[in-house]
Amino acid sequence: MVFLATSTGSAPKRRAPERRICGRPPRVGWAAIALAATLAPTACLAATEADLLPNERAFAFSARGVDERTVEARFLIADGYYLYREKLRFALTPGQLGGVSLPVGQIKEDEFFGRVETYRNQLVVRLPLEAAAPGRSVTVDAESQGCADIGVCYPPQIQKVTVVLPMAGGGTGPLIEAAPQKKSWFK
Amino acid sequence: MRRIVLWAAFTVVGLLAVAGGLYYGRQAPPPDRDPSAAVGDAAPLWALALPDLRGTDQALEQWRGKVLVVNFWATWCAPCREEMPEFVKAQREFGGQGLQFVGIAVDEPDKVRQFATEIGLNYPALVGGYGAIELSRTLGNRVGALPFTVVTDRAGRIVYRQLGPMKKAQLEGFIRQLL
Repeated sequence: MVFLATSTGSAPKRRAPERRICGRPPRVGWAAIALAATLAPTACLAATEADLLPNERAFAFSARGVDERTVEARFLIADGYYLYREKLRFALTPGQLGGVSLPVGQIKEDEFFGRVETYRNQLVVRLPLEAAAPGRSVTVDAESQGCADIGVCYPPQIQKVTVVLPMAGGGTGPLIEAAPQKKSWFK
Repeated sequence: MRRIVLWAAFTVVGLLAVAGGLYYGRQAPPPDRDPSAAVGDAAPLWALALPDLRGTDQALEQWRGKVLVVNFWATWCAPCREEMPEFVKAQREFGGQGLQFVGIAVDEPDKVRQFATEIGLNYPALVGGYGAIELSRTLGNRVGALPFTVVTDRAGRIVYRQLGPMKKAQLEGFIRQLL
């Protein structure tokens, strides 16, 4: 058993060492325990938290102008995560969104909500405009809500991307990401 | 011969580094550390008040002194719903000894009420909007997902945080420690 003194920096008298109560017992060698002693946060987090992606990276949204009246919306869903079909909402500004056809997902039985449909890996949806608007800049708002297999759910989020609709006969526009990856040592 | 000296030197340096780390690690954490590691991180919790299912504001301060388990959840979060029956059992068994669960639902009151009735909820269900998730971030929920649970000891300090479902063994573990 490792007893770790948590330090407040303010109490001048000695306090009895507090035992950290952790979600999982450490299965590590002595060197790692020594190292952990130097870090000693007051309360420990379960191991799962460090592995979880932020919402916008678990369900990364991007879009591109496919032709003068169609935007293609895309969710790149990380491994071990899934989105609910029922919670998907799209809006195009300016312009009027036509009928959206969603692909078939996987069916799950949810105890509270009954039959639910989910998407994994990648979801591609065509968003048609009611009227063609070649060369126009269009902002796509995509609302989604998803969970991770390890047992957490994220709140709904709205991700926005602005794309330019190609001219008639022009090729597909570039894929624009809503949350470009920021490279950093720190989350 | 020289190689042995070199290895000995490395070993000594290595040991000194570990010893130094152990020594300095026990000092007060440097100010640029994660603020949730400092005492006083429970302040946002004790300052919080949210309406219950009758619409009456409940201040969390009223439960200070208990072993308080604050569980952020939602009906739209299946893993959240799945762990709650265990909480109901624990509340029934240990409530008399000072264990107090409080649920903070990021949800609509009607849905919360429906689910609360279904599982025979025997502890307060407070209702917060998405702002409650933002609040949970200040308590250490970096990713902002649910379920998220914090536990305070009788002195009002946060001693445990968990993102993700609580296993029965974990629950029993800290109940034994803190009650």
